[in-house]
Amino acid sequence: MGTQVKDVVIKSDAPSALLLDKHADYIAAYGSKKDDYEYTLSEYLRMSGIYWGLTVMDLMGQLTRMNQQEISDFIKSCQHDCGGISASIGHDPHVLYTLSAVQILSLYDNVNVLDVDKMVEYVRGLQQEDGSFAGDKWGEIDTRFSFCAVATLALLGRLDAINMDKAVEFVLSCMNFDGGFGCRPGSESHAGQIYCCTGFLSIAGQLHQVNADLLGWWLCERQLPSGGLNGRPEKLPDVCYSWWVLASLKIIGRIHWIDKSKLRSFILACQDEETGGFADRPGDMVDPFHTLFGVAGLSLLGEGQIKDVNPVLCMPEDVLERLGLHPDLLS
Amino acid sequence: QHGRVKLKSTAQQEEEKRKEREKKLKIYVAGRDAIFTKRLEGVLDDEALQLTQQLLSSNPDFATLWNYRREILLHLETKMYEAELLFLESCLKVNPKSYGSWHHRGWVSARLPRPDWARELGLCDRCLSLDDRNFHCWDYRRMVVKMSGVPVDQELQFTDRLIGSNFSNYSSWHYRSTLLPLLHPESPDPPSPCHQHSHSSPPPSPQTHSHRVCEEQLLKEYELVQNAFFTDPNDQSAWFYYRWLLGRAEREEMISCVFVSREEERVAVAFSRPVNASSSGLMLVLDGQPQRVEWRSVHPHFRHSPVWPHLIVLPPSFTGRSESWCRDSATDQELFRSELSVEKTSVLQSELQSCNQLLELEPQNKWCLLTIVLLMRALDPLGYERETLSHFQTLKEVDSMRSAYYGDLCSKFMIENTILKMEYAEVRVFSLSDKNLTMLCHLDQLLLVTHINLSCNQLLRLPPQFAMLQCLEVLEADDNAIENLDGLYYLPKLQEVSLKNNQISKLSDLQLLTSCPKLTCLDLRGNPVTQIANIQSELTELLPSVTDLLI
Repeated sequence: MGTQVKDVVIKSDAPSALLLDKHADYIAAYGSKKDDYEYTLSEYLRMSGIYWGLTVMDLMGQLTRMNQQEISDFIKSCQHDCGGISASIGHDPHVLYTLSAVQILSLYDNVNVLDVDKMVEYVRGLQQEDGSFAGDKWGEIDTRFSFCAVATLALLGRLDAINMDKAVEFVLSCMNFDGGFGCRPGSESHAGQIYCCTGFLSIAGQLHQVNADLLGWWLCERQLPSGGLNGRPEKLPDVCYSWWVLASLKIIGRIHWIDKSKLRSFILACQDEETGGFADRPGDMVDPFHTLFGVAGLSLLGEGQIKDVNPVLCMPEDVLERLGLHPDLLS
Repeated sequence: QHGRVKLKSTAQQEEEKRKEREKKLKIYVAGRDAIFTKRLEGVLDDEALQLTQQLLSSNPDFATLWNYRREILLHLETKMYEAELLFLESCLKVNPKSYGSWHHRGWVSARLPRPDWARELGLCDRCLSLDDRNFHCWDYRRMVVKMSGVPVDQELQFTDRLIGSNFSNYSSWHYRSTLLPLLHPESPDPPSPCHQHSHSSPPPSPQTHSHRVCEEQLLKEYELVQNAFFTDPNDQSAWFYYRWLLGRAEREEMISCVFVSREEERVAVAFSRPVNASSSGLMLVLDGQPQRVEWRSVHPHFRHSPVWPHLIVLPPSFTGRSESWCRDSATDQELFRSELSVEKTSVLQSELQSCNQLLELEPQNKWCLLTIVLLMRALDPLGYERETLSHFQTLKEVDSMRSAYYGDLCSKFMIENTILKMEYAEVRVFSLSDKNLTMLCHLDQLLLVTHINLSCNQLLRLPPQFAMLQCLEVLEADDNAIENLDGLYYLPKLQEVSLKNNQISKLSDLQLLTSCPKLTCLDLRGNPVTQIANIQSELTELLPSVTDLLI
């Protein structure tokens, strides 16, 4: 008796060529049918949804197909008096959507449509005494929010607004026995959190505090026989982990510990040849979230047809070049 | 959205589905609009609670609605919160992985004058019995335990039960790793004076270092884990946890080597950990006189580095040898292995025996192979070198997706062994040739090395950390695959470099060599760069002081 390894089997007729044009068409059309049920139900994350769509279009060199003016106006109407940004009109502000908004406007080099000073104040106000960050005024603490805070401020050139030493101290207190990171001190390691924490430490210039060999091992053990990556032990592979895990490995200088060709095959198999877009695993329904992370993952693997993506901020490198942002990476 | 299978259906089924969704959407949008209108008007009534309840039941990630409910609840007496707890329970039944639901429950519980933490713990027990990997629930449990003062050993027993009955145990082992140091702490080390100064280096979190657990408990833990992976050799979590148990203490931050050269007018300092010498307050005192110094990092890439060289002017009256150094021995520092008591040594030896028996039953089990290697490293790195190399060969075969990892790990161990052997020989001549090296590490240990041989390996580059070899005079690195020389940055004594049969392909790859002032011999035969037109004259122009150039 023994545990079977949880995994998927890739069918022989799964897509094996990269269908960039279909993906661009999928994203360009997404959200135009505003009467779609799933679309409406996901309104609570709309700002992030727009960031996923625009970023993947930019990585494919298709950003011009999106409506910059409409999006700019939308973002402006989502800034609240406190300075924070909400996911959509009528929703409450949150650091998650504040970051997404700044990322979108950075793509367009148009951050100043917002009141930047107020936004910086909003982010500063979310930092707690122990260095952690709440997501909003209701106080949920999570290392995701530490990442969102410093990423936002880094894009705005305002990292001095927070207590960085304390912020670092909190993130490091979330480091676990396996070298990974969780949501809060004592939380289990999870690839999404690891991405946020290594990204945070990169921006904070503290990557030398990571045990790169130990964490790199944990991360490369996410690769399953199918070639796909899971988010933590004994879980199914998911294309979004091609981003969270791969970007983390890139940040800590261990991306070569993954079998690249097997991962590439898995990512390509997650495409939908009919509709365009990527799903979490082969045969499932597609969405913009998995489409971005599939394409971004392929970019990290060196796909020639896709622009280089920055592993810390998940934005095209040329945008960060323009902003003069070069977050540290371990070699 | 995860796990939504794409199903094929007939045109009629499609049409029916479409009508259904249209109806659902209409209801949803009506509810949402009604809620937003009320909120804008500042209404905090029961109808708002009803409406938000309807939407949250099917969409608990709609965070703004939880916010609205909290605003309403703040206006109600806390005895009304019971209904909220019941509502939350039903939400969590439907979707036990919604951040919003768990956070709201925590918020409600904390606001009660007498929260029923036992009930909350019971909720966690039930939730975890359905899915013991639900990290939302584990995090909530940790909050409940903290707020209500549940004893640590009670929680430890809880993990015992879970581990004993389930296969997917990672969350439980993880929880143990956080509980053990609390219940069975190692006696605290006296605070090191260095720690006071390291503003940028906070104390490591208790859970990262198993040496923070007292030895008696550690040995019991080995037994527990061994039972787990002997029952199921494919239970990953146990093997991960075991690696942590075998881990060694992190080194104290301290100076490990100081090198002084009167001739070069230089002082170089190596630390046991990366530091930022500029901000750490590192002082240089000469004959009782503090010196004004500006510490330089070995490579612009590093703000934090183990090695810091500095140029000083030594007064003419300074007599003595042209150079001298002071270095802690690697063995004394217990550099690559933890201190082993007699008990621990004998336990690990019997663990090694058992794992070898398991390997006979499961020769392809990579967890077992890797663990055997780690046990051998802990017991006798030099004595088991041959077996270690053989096991790595097997690992690359049975777990080929991770062969690059095994290559690097094996390289690390071979470098460690060579450094350990250095203890009994010269510290200035260092040979790593023909060791299948895929990468370089521990370069901070090689501050004093004057001659290094890296030939016949699989190196792709000399990384920036190579600049820590501040005393290097001769570099042999023939027969590798080197295409990048980032680490040959301002090596002040470097005279001879041999890079035959590598992958240097562009003139720009050699640019950094101009920063090495004493370089006179350079052998580039067998590199693609030598095929470039006019390469001889290009190189002479780039490196005029290299009089002995072989291409």
